[in-house]
Amino acid sequence: MSTDTQTNEIPFYSPQGNEESLFEHAYGNQLPVLLKGPTGSGKTRFISHMAAKLNVPLHTVSCHDDLTASDLVGRYLIGDGQTVWNDGPLTRAVRDGGICYLDEVVEARKDTTVVIHPLTDDRRILPVDRTGETLHAPDNFMLVVSYNPGYQSMMKGLKPSTRQRFISMSFNYLKPAQEQEVVEQETGIDAHMAKKLVAMANALRQLKDHDLEEGASTRLLVYTARLIKSGFDPVEACLAGLIEPLSDEDDVVSALMEVVYASFGK
Amino acid sequence: MEEHVGQIWDKLVTRLSDKSFKDSVVTLAQVSKPLGIFFRALGGDNALRIVESTATQHFAKRNWKHRVAGTGKYIELSWQDEDTLHLPKQINVFPDTDLNKDLYYWLAAVNAHTLENPSAKARGLQGWFAYSQQITVEVLQRFPGLQSRYDRLVNAYLQLRNIDEYFNEQEQSQEDAIAQALTKPGCVDQLPTSQYAPKPVLLWPHPNPPEVIDLSSRKKQPDNDAEGESEPSKPQQNKKENKRRNAERVDMPDGKDGLILHRFESIFGFSEFLNINRSTEDDDEADQDKADKNADDMDFLSVARDNQTKGGKIKFDLDLPAESIDEVVLESDILLPEWDYKKQIMQKDFCSVINYVHNTGEVGELPENLRRTAKKLRHQLEALTTKRVWHRHQTEGSELDLDAYINYMGERFSGHKVEQPDLYQQLRSTERDLSCLLLADFSLSTDTWLSNDARIIDVIRDSLFLFSESLRNTGDQFSIYGFSSRNRGHIRFNTLKTFEEKYNGIVRSRIQAIKPGFYTRMGAAIRYAAQKLEVQDTQQKLLLILTDGKPNDLDRYEGRYGVEDTRRAIHEAKAKGLQTFCITIDDQGGEYLPHIFGTNGFTIIRKPEHLPQKLPLLYANLTTNPS
Ligand SMILES: Nc1ncnc2c1ncn2[C@@H]1O[C@H](COP(=O)(O)OP(=O)(O)OP(=O)(O)O)[C@@H](O)[C@H]1O
Ligand SMILES: [Mg+2]
Repeated sequence: MSTDTQTNEIPFYSPQGNEESLFEHAYGNQLPVLLKGPTGSGKTRFISHMAAKLNVPLHTVSCHDDLTASDLVGRYLIGDGQTVWNDGPLTRAVRDGGICYLDEVVEARKDTTVVIHPLTDDRRILPVDRTGETLHAPDNFMLVVSYNPGYQSMMKGLKPSTRQRFISMSFNYLKPAQEQEVVEQETGIDAHMAKKLVAMANALRQLKDHDLEEGASTRLLVYTARLIKSGFDPVEACLAGLIEPLSDEDDVVSALMEVVYASFGK
Repeated sequence: MEEHVGQIWDKLVTRLSDKSFKDSVVTLAQVSKPLGIFFRALGGDNALRIVESTATQHFAKRNWKHRVAGTGKYIELSWQDEDTLHLPKQINVFPDTDLNKDLYYWLAAVNAHTLENPSAKARGLQGWFAYSQQITVEVLQRFPGLQSRYDRLVNAYLQLRNIDEYFNEQEQSQEDAIAQALTKPGCVDQLPTSQYAPKPVLLWPHPNPPEVIDLSSRKKQPDNDAEGESEPSKPQQNKKENKRRNAERVDMPDGKDGLILHRFESIFGFSEFLNINRSTEDDDEADQDKADKNADDMDFLSVARDNQTKGGKIKFDLDLPAESIDEVVLESDILLPEWDYKKQIMQKDFCSVINYVHNTGEVGELPENLRRTAKKLRHQLEALTTKRVWHRHQTEGSELDLDAYINYMGERFSGHKVEQPDLYQQLRSTERDLSCLLLADFSLSTDTWLSNDARIIDVIRDSLFLFSESLRNTGDQFSIYGFSSRNRGHIRFNTLKTFEEKYNGIVRSRIQAIKPGFYTRMGAAIRYAAQKLEVQDTQQKLLLILTDGKPNDLDRYEGRYGVEDTRRAIHEAKAKGLQTFCITIDDQGGEYLPHIFGTNGFTIIRKPEHLPQKLPLLYANLTTNPS
């Protein structure tokens, strides 16, 4: 859980389409937003970019299946012989305004997700049972949730009643030329190498579902490029940054390395 | 001529038995898995199956020397058709293992790039020459890392290509052009003409890949050839049957070459061109046997079209299981209704089911090749299904729930009235109260060959094994049944494991013994299975159906009638509070499956080979509901 303090610098984000403008409109109209897309496709980056651009604080919560409602709303803490109420990130965002970003929201237990329901309809309120308060969200409060549809099990997923409370945006990996630009920009690696890496990532993405659970993300690409940029051997960097994270099976890893050799030579 | 043959023969045999070449052999079986991944990563079609190619004819067919010369005969070429990528069964062109392996990867790269396979004949010899160079250039451009590998291969290949060969001037210039095109792809426009076509080039695509006969088009052809007719007619299986023997249309070898081919064959085995079309005189039984055997053993069945043939038929009889003496009848004459959608009536006592168990008297073991996967899946399922979590806010428990306690204290301090707080937490596995009945289709179509060594039934067998192995530690109740039918009076229900039985050696031996039966009267099977499942005393009851095609039987139970009855049976099961889910490998099931099972009630496994591994995971997915 983190709350980013405002810095003047807007994190770099290369848009896939009209998502920036859509987001601004959603923000302006107090509509909650749902981001879906595979891991490492820029969802988190997009949110930090937008928060900075809109000049509002960002409160991020990574959801997990043990996340309770009080983790979101807040709890009493004991300090100096007395108990003090401590706002959870959701409550803080509602009090102070800003974007509250619930990452991987499907991971949260269903009873936790219902806490956000009253915030996502036109009431825009947060009842805090423990303190007996009912908070009204200010205009600059915005709720954003994300999830990766690929990981869902058949019975898991967002309940329609939750899903249908959000404007939805889909994220995907960028087109090669644009992804190359992102890799260059993020790591300062040369264009030639960035191009090679992107081509390789796209080759690996073809294997999704068939041979691999997930394709190589932009994030992995950025990591790998950083290793190379700092002087690490490219083939070894690919092994550590692109291949090993994708599979634990030795024969799959060695097959994927053949793809690396097809780009870097052997 | 015989003498000349003998000489070359010796050379060939000597060369092939040369130790270094033998030692360096790389087989497709060794590399096919990584090769498949490599192929798909480089853009190859996901749906293609990689199979071993057999020797096929190429342009140079006039002259036996060209046909068998050098590596051409032994190192088959690569090509693709709609659902297969054919790669050489083994490569031992080079004395060096790494080079042989490199050649496999090169061929995979070349084929991954060949997005479509324009009929090679349309391309012609010049087309092939240009196309091959172009593809080489493009592949190297896209994957520059392959350059060094390619250079090594070309170097080694050019040294070997024309050993022991004598060329006239024209042939020589042709060879020179090929060498140049290999060394500097894209630089030679024309292949100099010669009386003969050149030998194929191992690094290039097949100059004239065999065309797979499409059964539908074959029907229109005057010649009647093997298979199809000998089997009970099951129209919708045709496509699969076609895959199974991978019949390919190749030209008839002309008479002159017959002798040589034959001798070659008797020395090197059967996996070569085999002329099995029945000419007038060889219609005796011995020959039938021989052809049968060869058809079984062969990787491919080359069915040559030859208009002079009298159209003799070779029957490949399917191994229909006899009702064996080991079968013990558990229940018989179980009468079940069937839905007639046309009349919209339920026909009472319309079907008769016999439930039997096949006791082989043996204690089965889990097949060796499944053990590793079984272990892995077992762990995965255990982790998925018996997740232990802290249950918070309990009235009793092993530990204090600090969170609850602090809240309680806080609320008290701040003056709130709190009633009976639940201040403890307890580590417990999430409660599962589940029984699952797995109903597998053992119909005739499961006898279809998926690859050179596995039929659908084999995949189903492996699936049943892995399913059982995975579930044994989860605490879930499960039972396994198979079914097939022959008309409404003969619905055979094969009990492999009841809910009461433990999964043990006896169950394994029953799974081991499963065989394809006849047809798929699915409605009755589902109704009977639902009766078994319904009486289970668990909260959740899951009926899993494993099948490979549409419901059908000999009588009118096919098409819409069968589909509607099955749909009805599923509805009845749901009304009884059962969950139903169908796992099918029928990739054409898109239209009827949602109708029967509902949009979320089925899944299609496009790669049947993946079924054994996927089934347990699917099960886990279906049964782990986070809330
Ligand atoms: N459009 C983009 N513009 C700039 N950088 C990007 C973009 N897409 C991805 N990246 C890079 O990829 C990295 C990973 O993206 P991010 O962390 O936003 O992924 P995510 O979608 O939030 O993944 P997850 O679902 O795993 O949380 C970023 O740190 C950034 O370097
Ligand atoms: Mg993220």
